[in-house]
Amino acid sequence: MSKTREIKRRLRSIEKTRQITRTMEMVATSKMKKMTDLVQAARPYSMGLEEVIGRLTDPKLRQRYPLLRQPSRQRRAAVILLTSNRGLAGAFNVNLIREARELMGRLEADGVGVELHVVGKKGIAFFRFQNQEMVTTRTDIPDRREPQHAAWLVDEPMKAFEQEELDAVYVVYSQFRSALSIPPAVMQVLPVEPAKASAQRDADLEAGMYILSPGPDEILNKLLPLYVRNRVYRALVETSAAEQSSRRTAMKNATDNAGEIIDNLRRTFNRARQAQITQEISEIVGGAAALE
Amino acid sequence: MPKQSRLSVVVITPDATVFEGEAEMVVVPAWDGEVGFLPNHAPMMALLGHGEMRVTAQGQLLRFHVDGGFVHVAANLVSVLSERAEAR
Repeated sequence: MSKTREIKRRLRSIEKTRQITRTMEMVATSKMKKMTDLVQAARPYSMGLEEVIGRLTDPKLRQRYPLLRQPSRQRRAAVILLTSNRGLAGAFNVNLIREARELMGRLEADGVGVELHVVGKKGIAFFRFQNQEMVTTRTDIPDRREPQHAAWLVDEPMKAFEQEELDAVYVVYSQFRSALSIPPAVMQVLPVEPAKASAQRDADLEAGMYILSPGPDEILNKLLPLYVRNRVYRALVETSAAEQSSRRTAMKNATDNAGEIIDNLRRTFNRARQAQITQEISEIVGGAAALE
Repeated sequence: MPKQSRLSVVVITPDATVFEGEAEMVVVPAWDGEVGFLPNHAPMMALLGHGEMRVTAQGQLLRFHVDGGFVHVAANLVSVLSERAEAR
């Protein structure tokens, strides 16, 4: 009697858990959809910026721009780690933290001083537990990322880089290749590496056909910070999409597992109930037999 | 380059493509004053200031508010990239 009641209680509890994980899965699915749209929407802008910067950058002139400076030796670098504020997203945060620690280990082995900036409660909690010093911590970046959030993160390090207090800035984030492929990755934000700079310098520009207003230097000096911010913005939106996708997978697995446990419990419950009935019948039959 | 009578226009911000279409004339607020583009304009790159961008398409006038960024004109394609731009 007591056994069936026990099983019933567990059944109810697991059914409620399944209800919750199923809801979280659905919430994450719909959020992921929105975040994926943002990732897509961010593409044209960064492609446009990259193209123009690629056209304007002359590798021979790198040293003229503070943001293109290639330090001969790295002394100090900043690592910006993006994690989530909420858990229940499977190995999402663990992977990001591991990636960041590997990067920091590599840098330190090369004799580079590392300053750590952490975004998201999960990363902050981990490094606080490790007694690792963090230069800045932020938990105020919402799920719906806006371009200004990238400015909050990278403007200070960018200034430090211009003043040669930093020699490199890295962002550890989660790539969003597809809903199932969200590997953690390191992005070198500074010094800026313009993609295929020389290849894209086109004939029109070389021939002086372009009207540049004000001049190439002024344009580059204005655009490089935009470019840096935009790369960080893209890391932000990709990480956000990856977080939702990781949570969705985790919650889907949890829901499936709960279903499996419920099936097993139900089977055990029915068996116990049947055993009880059989026992009662045999008791009655036994009692009746004793009277004859 | 063959002569054309229309310009393609795109207005892009980091989080959205605000406008994409064809036009007969585009006026943008460059850093030092307004600049207008007609079809077959010479290639140009310019920084933008803060102000109103106007697109004339089939007799209709579309207005956008832009704040900073830059404009790139080449081969009858006018691309406006700005941190903030909105139709109004």
